[in-house]
Amino acid sequence: MKEMVQTQNLTKDYGQDGVVTRALRGVTVTLAAGEFAAMAGPSGSGKSTLLNIIGGLDRPTSGTARVQGRELSGMSGSALSRLRRDNIGFIFQAYNLIPVLTALENAEYVLMLQGVPSRKREERVRAILKEVGLEGLENRFPRQLSGGQQQRVAIARAIASEPSLVLADEPTANVDSKTARSLLKLMRRLNEEKGITFLFSTHDQAVMKEAKRLILLQDGQIIHEDHREEENYSR
Amino acid sequence: MTIRLAWRSLWRNKRRTVITVCSIAFGLTFAIFFIALADGAYEQMIEQMVRIQSGHVTLEHVDYREAPSVDLSITIPRQLRSEVERWPAVEETKLVVLGQGIVKSGAGNMAAALMGVEPSSEQATSPVARNLIKGNYLEPADGPQVMVGSEMAERLNLGVGKKLVIASNDVNGTLVEELCRVKGIFRTGSEEMDAYVVQMPISFARRLFRLPRGGATQMGVILRDPGSQKRIIQRIRGLLHDRSISVLRWQEVMPDVATYIKMDKGSNLIFQGILIFLILFTIFNTLSMSVLERQREFAMLMAVGTTPGRLRLQVLVETIFLGLIGCFFGLLLGGITVLYGHLYGINLSGIMGESVNISGFALSSRMYTKVSLDIFLGSTITVFAATLLLGLVPVRRATRISIVDTLR
Repeated sequence: MKEMVQTQNLTKDYGQDGVVTRALRGVTVTLAAGEFAAMAGPSGSGKSTLLNIIGGLDRPTSGTARVQGRELSGMSGSALSRLRRDNIGFIFQAYNLIPVLTALENAEYVLMLQGVPSRKREERVRAILKEVGLEGLENRFPRQLSGGQQQRVAIARAIASEPSLVLADEPTANVDSKTARSLLKLMRRLNEEKGITFLFSTHDQAVMKEAKRLILLQDGQIIHEDHREEENYSR
Repeated sequence: MTIRLAWRSLWRNKRRTVITVCSIAFGLTFAIFFIALADGAYEQMIEQMVRIQSGHVTLEHVDYREAPSVDLSITIPRQLRSEVERWPAVEETKLVVLGQGIVKSGAGNMAAALMGVEPSSEQATSPVARNLIKGNYLEPADGPQVMVGSEMAERLNLGVGKKLVIASNDVNGTLVEELCRVKGIFRTGSEEMDAYVVQMPISFARRLFRLPRGGATQMGVILRDPGSQKRIIQRIRGLLHDRSISVLRWQEVMPDVATYIKMDKGSNLIFQGILIFLILFTIFNTLSMSVLERQREFAMLMAVGTTPGRLRLQVLVETIFLGLIGCFFGLLLGGITVLYGHLYGINLSGIMGESVNISGFALSSRMYTKVSLDIFLGSTITVFAATLLLGLVPVRRATRISIVDTLR
């Protein structure tokens, strides 16, 4: 089983005005390549903190985190930027699309960062937008799209660069249940067809139900794990 | 994509961008216009002054500056004068005789600055000739005939054709007197000129002061291009073998005018600085607001792998666009106003009265702006560079955010 993510005894403390809050308490978890996993737990359980550390957006107080075998804490800011650009896709709760760029331009943004030539970018992104069900809406701006459509653009942006890992922080929080189910179906299909590893941070029961592996957190610790299918995931 | 993103980001808040562009444009327009107006006024002043006095370049006795006296006269070789007049940069040369005396009439007497001039040169260009209010201007064949100012004419009850006596000391220090008649009365608007200056043909002045044939106090060189002053001085010095003659800039002959212009330029610079500061304040506010409003977007961009350098570049490009658009319209408006002012003049009589007296020279209240590439370029580059420099602060701020905290 190829490891995608591995954390070892991860802790994260936040301090303000002399008060220290421990968001993660010695979290050790391994995610295999191709997994479709979700982290669930009440607010303040450390889900988003763990996701941010795995995504290289935050640094742990102690412990280690590896993505594709690479130790994150030893990496510089620019190395982490490159890692995020080339290997990790992000899907945010609030879509976070750039309002002055069209659906196509938003989706191709990371490819642009990677230096992919314009024509090739457009070709690839048009195919992806078709795949996520947005054919014909490429030239619309985010304000002209529904919540569900915007989140599809965000998904397209996250996978356009063919990352090995997609981190999704509450991706269905701002859409209705029908749309949420449709988005989940899409992401599941991408996971199965392309072998992209998905890790969600969620409160949504639908996501928890769809995930093949459920990791429950509380007070910064993993309290329970549930493997729905005992399969060897590999790309 | 960065340029596209920057351009579109600029127009997210159209009103704010338009206000900022207008600030830059109007600020630059005012800066260009006021510099052009000031420079035009200085030019007018200098033009009038060099034509009344002794040119952009003055040749005089080496001791004259320290102790002006009619006996410190010079004789310019005819060949030298002809040679200088042939230079393309030179408009004309003129000889003047300067002295002090008393003017007496039946109504009284007054101190006077006596000026012997060459009527053929003065007729076309002298402010005295141009501001005649009664009678006629001097002619080369005239004998003991003089031009007096309106103030002097009033005080001494002089009219055209009336007699007056001029008393002075000649080159030997002997008291001399000559009877003459008023040929014309002038009013330049300058009290010093109108109350004290008496102009006469140079031949009459030489007779009055017992100067040798060809003698003069100064030779003035009037230039077509005042910028060639230094070069002309060097050339004249090269031709001149007489060490008793010095070649001076007008700034050395009239240091008070030069100082006035310098001081005025200095205060203008302060004014421009304040104006530019106000423009920059608006730009800074716009850019800062724009960056502040987009912190979440910037955090997301960095989260997906945008480097801080690229993000800073985007904001910098926005600043460049703002500066370019603002400067373009500023140049356009500034160009139109300066051109108008150059062709038709700006009438400031409502503020200044009919004329302004500066260091004894009357400047018309209708001022003409100077059209100069230096003014346009200099102001534009200053405003643009200042915009860019100021834009660096929000540019840096754009990336000094915590991705995690901002996205939370």
